Amino acid sequence: MPTDLDTWLHIIYAYLHDISIAVYIGGAVAMEFVLGPAQGSIPPAQAQVMGQKTADRFLWLVWGSLSLIIVTAFFRLQHMGYITSDWPFFESGLALSEDYGRTIWTMFALWCVLCVNGAIMTFYLRPRLAGRLKAGTTSAGVQASQQAKMEAAKWIERITRADLVIAVFIALLGASLKWGGLL
Amino acid sequence: METLLATLHVAGWAVYVGGAVTMEWVLRYAQRTMPPSQTAVVCKHAGSRYRWFALGALAVTGLSGLFLLFALDQDDLASRFSSPELSLADPYGRTLLLLGVAWLILFAVLSSMAFWLHPAQARRSRPEMSREEIQSERERVGRAIKRMEWALRTELVVSVLAVGLGASLHAGGLF
Repeated sequence: MPTDLDTWLHIIYAYLHDISIAVYIGGAVAMEFVLGPAQGSIPPAQAQVMGQKTADRFLWLVWGSLSLIIVTAFFRLQHMGYITSDWPFFESGLALSEDYGRTIWTMFALWCVLCVNGAIMTFYLRPRLAGRLKAGTTSAGVQASQQAKMEAAKWIERITRADLVIAVFIALLGASLKWGGLL
Repeated sequence: METLLATLHVAGWAVYVGGAVTMEWVLRYAQRTMPPSQTAVVCKHAGSRYRWFALGALAVTGLSGLFLLFALDQDDLASRFSSPELSLADPYGRTLLLLGVAWLILFAVLSSMAFWLHPAQARRSRPEMSREEIQSERERVGRAIKRMEWALRTELVVSVLAVGLGASLHAGGLF
């Protein structure tokens, strides 16, 4: 067993980083290809309740893992000596002229895309999907609301699939770092 | 080639571990609000898809891990943090061995879930069955569900520990 704190920190950062990525990618796969189809096997009203419950819970996992990914990535880079406290706050290894630096910055940009997509789903599409009708709504209003819900559900599906592709690409970039980066 | 293998390895672990966490943390939570009859239907559908996904992901992880192991050379290892060695006298080699054991345990648990525990959850009641036979069938299914829960939790704990072992390889191994 390692005896110094430095090595333990190295292991803990790597562990939390790997677990967060696993939860993000594996969770998206399970939601899309396991829980989604299983929802279709029960009556629509119950399926809607199940969809809301699973999506609410899954969003906690998504935001938790996205936060842990960036925090542990920062600490790992700092621990490896790539990040400093003086301007421009990073060493030459992270410059855009280096393969390693370009790969890291691309991963960061894609992580930002995942966050934007997550925010769109959490704060714009999910509330539309959960919106309830008020008493006295006309049939045209009911139809318009259902149309909006179906549209929101379609967009959530598209964004989830795009996120999955982006996350797997980030994993590819991350795996390439051991050999100096991909881009 | 090694980057592709490493990506497959990471993606395999991610699908497997993330899937196990999602099934435990998301599906089990959603099930609490569902009527028992529908819980059984959702479990059956989700379980039958999940077992193949999990088995596939675990197989990819094992194969890519084996190829990555064959691709390792002493010069590469010597240039790494704490200069590990591929030997049982070194923590790196022992941790790799433990990872292999963890993979075998997971494969055994998952295979038992896919080919024994999941099919055992299907109720086989027939109209001509007596009340005692129906009761014993219910008890049998109840036992199968309990065993499945144990298997799922064991799988989750071992897989999360295995990620820890894998992560420790960056620092030369754990034991």
